[in-house]
This record gives sequence, structure tokens and C-alpha cells, in this order.
Amino acid sequence: MKHFFYLHWLDARQALRKMLRQPVGNLLNLLMLAIAMSLPVTLFLTAGSLQHWVGKLTAAPQITLFMELSAEQADLAAVQSSLSAHPRVASFRFIGRDQALRDLEQRSGLSGIREGLDSNPLPDAFVVTPKAGTTPDELDMLQKELSGLPMVEQSQFDAAWARRLHGLLDIAVKLAWLLGASFGIALVLITHNTIRMQILARQEEIEVAKLIGATDSFIRRPFLYHAFWVGLLSALLCWGLSSLFVSQAAPALNEFSHLYGENISLAGLNLVELAALTGASILLCWFGARLAADHHLRKVRAH
Amino acid sequence: MIQFDQVTKRYPGGHEALRNLSFTIDSGEMVFLAGHSGAGKSTLLKLISGIERATSGSVLVNNQNLSRLRASQLPYVRQHIGIVFQDHKILFDRSVFDNVMLPLNIIGFDRRDAARRVRAALDKVGLAGKEKVMPVRLSGGEQQRLCIARAVVHRPSILLADEPSANLDRAYALDIMELFKSFHQVGVTVLISAHDETLMEDYGRRIIRLREGQFAS
Repeated sequence: MKHFFYLHWLDARQALRKMLRQPVGNLLNLLMLAIAMSLPVTLFLTAGSLQHWVGKLTAAPQITLFMELSAEQADLAAVQSSLSAHPRVASFRFIGRDQALRDLEQRSGLSGIREGLDSNPLPDAFVVTPKAGTTPDELDMLQKELSGLPMVEQSQFDAAWARRLHGLLDIAVKLAWLLGASFGIALVLITHNTIRMQILARQEEIEVAKLIGATDSFIRRPFLYHAFWVGLLSALLCWGLSSLFVSQAAPALNEFSHLYGENISLAGLNLVELAALTGASILLCWFGARLAADHHLRKVRAH
Repeated sequence: MIQFDQVTKRYPGGHEALRNLSFTIDSGEMVFLAGHSGAGKSTLLKLISGIERATSGSVLVNNQNLSRLRASQLPYVRQHIGIVFQDHKILFDRSVFDNVMLPLNIIGFDRRDAARRVRAALDKVGLAGKEKVMPVRLSGGEQQRLCIARAVVHRPSILLADEPSANLDRAYALDIMELFKSFHQVGVTVLISAHDETLMEDYGRRIIRLREGQFAS
């Protein structure tokens, strides 16, 4: 058994050495595969990180009710009491029109804005937080219900855009998977072709080996190990490339997220994802090589 | 041991290379196979090494019936046979050493022991010191010897040689025959085919004569 592993180790080493003997050609080949793979991986990483952030936004949506300017204290009290009685409302916060104007002054840095205005143009507002676990459909219903309250001029769903973005990112993630799958198929085809060429180039050697007692697995082994190295190295290269892309894109995304007072961290592949990528890449390359070997070795007849 | 029992080989297209042939070659025997080209000598050797399968009858090699053997088992039979091919089948993309190494790689020999064995085999056939040479630079006779070294390096129990003395002058051919005799002396079953019978007669060994796929009487 030990001997068996020793022989495999020899073949693995031999295959790697053969690749290193043609460094430029093999590196170009690996780079081609790695770039193709890093496309869906980077898309997956970006869309995944954004979706995580957007998911947090939609998890705690808020509905803002703007009152009509002519609303009076009694109207406010009526809205307040129906909000506190509503079963789907977890909490709400009242922002009076005076406070809203003060906030605006502070935030925009336009002190003295009040002096320039004849009257306060801002309405009273309620910021409503629905109960956790409310489904998107129920949120829609709630919003409609609340906008029907007396003297409510407009209700605004804070997370509506976030939900739309979330849906969009959902498509992006699906696209990444789809791209990944098609690049996976491409990987199988490319290794199939590479191994086919190798077999054709070494046809004479294979024929002689068969004549003097080589088993099919002996003949196949160098090709399968070649595919193994291609799968492993291109996955690692892809990891490097996607990390590079991510590190390039992270500052821009950070800036964007700061606009919303948020902090989105764009991370590279974690260990589990890297292992899965490497495993899948090796398996697909191996599969392509195996197909090519089986197909062509059957054609090489010993005479 | 090699045993043919009523063996017929018909090639696709209808040509009958061997007809109803029965004979036995004992373990450790040295036998010559004579006949003109087309008499069926090569086909007989190919049946023993499992390169071709008998159309009918049975071929027993080391107590295994090759006609019934699954294709996946064939390599293990061949690993016990050394073949000197008529066209040598040397690989020209690698050194003399690596050519002889191939059979040992196939049976998974330990590398250090293998190197020693390769050198011993090259020494035996008179190619010591040429291990790093590429086969193109060898003469026809030397290529023949290289092929013999590759056939015996894994110490097979049966050695088959298809026309090893063809295209060689008589002195060289005698050298090669002496080489085969020395393998026979250490217990290897040796079967040599040739169309030139004068070489064989000097050795006083059994000669199987073929004519049109049958024994020539």
C-alpha cells in the first residue's frame, strides 16, 4: 500500500516537473483559466457582500408618515393613538416640525436658514418601526393602511429601494453562479482538449507501454495528475486574482457606503470558499482529463 | 510454459494466418521458429503476448488461458514476457537509459534498484557507458541490443524475439544468438523466430517450422 502511494507521488511529481519544463506556455494556459474563473468569483464576492449589507437594511425597515401642514394637535394625537394600538407596529417616534427644521440646520450646516423663511415648510412626521418578522407583503399592506390615517399626507417606505437593490443583487448572485457553471463546463472542455493533444503527441510511447504490459491506469495516471495540477494551480491563481480585484474595488465601495453612513466590508474568499473552489476546479479538470484519456486510449491499439 | 491447443487465427478479411496448431514449449526451453515471411511466425508470437487473440482454440501462457482472459488482465500477463520487436519500437524522444527503464516503471519498481537493474541489463547487451546517449545515435545493431535490454530488464520468464537477426551480418547475428542462449541458461523460456535456418541449426535446439500457418513437415 505504501508502495502504491509512493508510485502515485512519483507520477504527481513527474507531472509537475513536466509542466515546469515549459513554464511560459503552461503559465499562460493557467492564467487563461484563472482569469476566466475569477470573473464569476469576483462577481459573487461583490454581490454577496452588498447583499449582506442590504439585507441588514431591509431586516429593519421603517415607514415614515408625513402629516399635512395643516394638521393640528388633535390630529397628531389621533394618529398617535391608532399607531400605538396597531398590532404590527413595534414602536414609533414623533419628529415635530420645529425639531425637523433644527435638525436640517444642523446637518446641512445652513445655520440661519430659519431667518430666511417666512414659515416652517417642514411637516410633522412619525417614524414607524414595524414588528420584526413582518413579511414584505404585510409591510406593503401596513404602509397603505397607515397612509389612510386622517391628515397623513404621504407615507414613505425607507427600505423600498433597499428591497429593490436586494432583488437586483439576487440576480447578480444568480448570474455569478450561472457564469461559474458555464466556466466549469469550459474547464472540463479545455482540459479535455489539452489532454487529448498530449495523448496524440505521446501516442507512440503509449503504444509501446501497452505492448510491454502497462495497465490502462498506469497510462492514464500522468495525464490525470497533469489535470490535477492544472486544477489546483489555476484555482490558486484565481484566488490571487480575485483578491487583487477585491482589494482594488474595496476603497470605492467603502466610499459609497460611507455616503449612507454604513460600512460595507468587501472580503475575499474565506477558507471554506477557497477549499470549495479548489476542490471543484480539480474535480472538473480531472473529469475532463479522464474523459479524454478513456476516449483516446481506447483508440490506441497495441499492435 | 506455453501451450497451443488447436489454435486458428483468422484476420478480418478472411486471411488465415494459423491453422489448427497444437504444440507445447516447456518452461526453460529454447525453441526456434522458422518459416518464410507470411508463414505465421509473427502471428504466433503475437498470440503468446496477447497482442492478438486466437479465433478458435486455446493459448495457455504460464497456465493462463489468454483466449478467456479479460482485456484488463492482459497487462499482467505481458509483464512476465519480454518481447524483442521486429521493428524494435524504441522511443526516440528519450535516452537509452530511460528506454530500458520503461518496463520497470510499469511494474512499479523501486527507483534506486531499478537504476541498478537498468545498468546491469545494458552491461549485459554490451551497451554499458551509452546510457545517456539518445537512440538515434546508435547503430542498427546497437538499437537491436537496446531492444533486447528493454525486453529482459524486468527478468521475464518468457522471452520472445521476432526476427532478431534480420538485417544483421552473420557475425553480429551470432553474437545476438549467444546473448539469447545466455538468458536461456539462467532459466528463461526463449522463443526466437527467423527465416534464416542456418543460424539455428548450429544450436541443436528444437525448431518449429511453419508454412502457411501449419507445421511444415
